[in-house]
Amino acid sequence: MCDACGCDIKPETTSDPKVVEVHQSLFAANSAMAAKNRAHFDTMGTVVLNMISSPGSGKTTLLEKTIEALGDSLRIGVIEGDIETERDAERIRKKGVPVVQLTTGGACHLDAAQIHQGLHQLEHEEGGKELDILVIENVGNLVCPATFDLGEHQRIVLVSVPEGPDKPGKYPKAFHSSQLFIISKTDLLPYFDFQVEDATRDALQLNPDLQVMSLSATSGEGMEPWLEYLRSLVKK
Amino acid sequence: MHEMSLVQGLISQLLALAKEHKKTKVLTVQMEIGPLSGVVIDSFQFGFDILSKEQPITQDAQLKIIAPPISYRCCGCGNQINEEQRPKECPHCSETLFSPIGSDDLILLQVEME
Repeated sequence: MCDACGCDIKPETTSDPKVVEVHQSLFAANSAMAAKNRAHFDTMGTVVLNMISSPGSGKTTLLEKTIEALGDSLRIGVIEGDIETERDAERIRKKGVPVVQLTTGGACHLDAAQIHQGLHQLEHEEGGKELDILVIENVGNLVCPATFDLGEHQRIVLVSVPEGPDKPGKYPKAFHSSQLFIISKTDLLPYFDFQVEDATRDALQLNPDLQVMSLSATSGEGMEPWLEYLRSLVKK
Repeated sequence: MHEMSLVQGLISQLLALAKEHKKTKVLTVQMEIGPLSGVVIDSFQFGFDILSKEQPITQDAQLKIIAPPISYRCCGCGNQINEEQRPKECPHCSETLFSPIGSDDLILLQVEME
């Protein structure tokens, strides 16, 4: 007899306890989508970078200056991730490159499924189908984005001088999952107690394979190694 | 708080498992949270306590978390050091760089239902 109403239709369920061995990653769905994205990027011949940092560390400014410097020689596209607003995409669009803004509506990170959608939106933008480099500017957050593979080829973590040199130690996952660490806004070094060597040492302790660069997009100091890094990624 | 969206994925998976096995109640859920997963165990538990209550099938479910330890490999001599805290220097070669060793995965191991 059915428990709910007393009818004599037997429920389709049985109440014997049952243990099911699952052994499946909660990241499995995201990882599968990320692998799909990566295969798609490879077919496009596009190198994809995932930029992770706190809000206000200068990701968008660095991108603007990078497009100014390389926009004539490399085809660059951008996917912007933010919780709300199109502001960053508008800034990038002014530089004349294809850009898509993804708004997460509250979520603290981008995931592989969102990037998949963004990729299809980008195809409708002029020049969005053929790119040498696609930069994904993740939601400003040094914690959550580090956990989600988007299908990128390189992960870049940024810390700006005003944030302080203690960030690698405090947010280890972002550093041990990245390939490049950029210390940005070095034009502000005279005004802040930020020792580049301390931040570098802490970051290398978390991830000895990490490449480290320090630069200022505003003054142009240290930009050349960064631009060369991008050129060499495309050559590969 | 990306733990919340991960728990959301877990709850959907539990509901699908219950349907698949024709069960009406999830009793226990066993998870393994790797030390390099970037997932805070307390936040995951907190998210589970809230979201599991929203579904009749999962409302009484108990979450059991297995957290395997982290260890470190010295970048100088390759010596493996089994300590919870990152060592300051290697006792064998005084190297200060270490690579963390441990899973970065979040695995649903086992579900008990009735």
